[in-house]
Amino acid sequence: MNQVRFAPDQSERPLELTRARLTPRQRRTVRQIGGILVALALWELSSATGAVNSNALVTPLATFGGIISHMTALATALVATLEAWALGISVAVVAGILIGTLVGRSQIADAATETIVRMMRPLPSLALIPIAILIAGLGVRMTAGLVSFAAFWPVFINTRVGVRQVDNTVLETAAVLGLKKLNLLYRVVLPSASPMIASGIQVAISLALVVTVSVELVGGTGGLGEFILLAQQGNEPSVMFGGIIMGGLLGWGISRLFAWIIDRFIPWRTQGIRTNA
Amino acid sequence: MISRKQNQTRQRKLSRLAVGWLGLVIVAALWQLLAVTLHTSVFPTFIASLVAAWKVVTSSALRVDIIPSLERTAVGFLISVIIGITAGMIIGHYEVVRDWTSAVVDFMRSLPTPLLVPIAIVIFGINGRMVVATIVSAAIWPILINTANGTSTIEPTMIDTATTYGLRGRTLFWRVVLPAASPQIFAGLRIALSVSLAVMVVAEMLGGGSGIGYFIANAQQSFNIKGSYGGVIVLGCLGWIFDTLFLSFERRLLSWQRGTLGGSFDV
Repeated sequence: MNQVRFAPDQSERPLELTRARLTPRQRRTVRQIGGILVALALWELSSATGAVNSNALVTPLATFGGIISHMTALATALVATLEAWALGISVAVVAGILIGTLVGRSQIADAATETIVRMMRPLPSLALIPIAILIAGLGVRMTAGLVSFAAFWPVFINTRVGVRQVDNTVLETAAVLGLKKLNLLYRVVLPSASPMIASGIQVAISLALVVTVSVELVGGTGGLGEFILLAQQGNEPSVMFGGIIMGGLLGWGISRLFAWIIDRFIPWRTQGIRTNA
Repeated sequence: MISRKQNQTRQRKLSRLAVGWLGLVIVAALWQLLAVTLHTSVFPTFIASLVAAWKVVTSSALRVDIIPSLERTAVGFLISVIIGITAGMIIGHYEVVRDWTSAVVDFMRSLPTPLLVPIAIVIFGINGRMVVATIVSAAIWPILINTANGTSTIEPTMIDTATTYGLRGRTLFWRVVLPAASPQIFAGLRIALSVSLAVMVVAEMLGGGSGIGYFIANAQQSFNIKGSYGGVIVLGCLGWIFDTLFLSFERRLLSWQRGTLGGSFDV
């Protein structure tokens, strides 16, 4: 995002004296906070003036009140959602990397999975919620199972492509240097595929959260989804909004944490592959 | 000589395709086998599910559920495309706007969208408009973010060259900025298309009143288990058709950039 700098707008010149004291990074932070404040103000205005049905849209302050008054219930719901999410995503990541590596290293397996992947990729796993409820009943196991099924595909697809795209020269060099199968896999194939795998996991973790809350909403199996549904049915819009905001913060926190982990452990991951802003 | 070489690549492509379909057949056979051995009502055989899917398509469900779902997805996707590309261009082009909006955009796109369905139900009621609104709230983000990224990372030399040649304003936009950002925009559009389908299903399950998501959930609740599987198969086929159509459309529209950029893979 920050490789390209546009020439400063001429109209901003008069402010340059006061701005000179801030580094570009600080200036960005100030602007980001400003953006959040503006968004909150717009939200406050649109609900206070009744532009939107006031029953549906509560003010930021009321939402904050909703969060405070239902603190413990919210915390329990968040933990339940996180638990199902973590269970599902860990299975998906392990299975996706394992099977993806095996399939990616074999030409026949690669060709044989092509059509299945093309069909499963756009299939919304969310459509399987009713079937998952039928097979596994309501509970954490069902949620985690469906989450891992949904999150498996991005990890698997990216691992497969990443493993397939390892430079042949690199592989041959490693072979000449005497690296054998497992060593070759750990030292060469997986590290060079890891940026692709990381992108897959990045997609998978937010998809997994979407699936988790969807199961909770449709099946009423506890967690944040059910919390919000109950608040809506109980006609407590401020509590409902509080839950939604917490859901957003949860999603945001998870993706930030993962981005940090990637920067920390896969520094060779190039900018070009990154798809997020 | 050339024709033989072409023949060879074509043959290799065909055999790859054949193996691909063979993989699908194997999965279907395993499904069939597993269902026959387990013999439970919650897991019908592959053939029974296919028959159920055929029944869904040929029954009144086509008109009552499938077509409304397609309409909602199309409308929601189109609205997201228009808003997403416009806003993405502005955000990508002006660094100030990018800084001001980045935190809010980051939050909004991390929010698991199905959580918004209860609000959408309160605002719009149980109908198609609610589904469209939910689709837009989810599908807009991949488009917006990819457009902004594509626009902000355009090679400055390219813009400078175009300006030197006297292109500016609208011409610069249509001839340089939009084409240069289009590969990224298309990547975002493809994600948004599958997101639209997914969110459509959940919104309809929770309160669409009709539609394919409603159909699947309803079939399960009324113990029409085969119907539920049939609905999922129909949806899977629709997703596959959408994705294939989109890819061929993209290939045609972006044919000029094939070969200019490396490593465009097909997954």
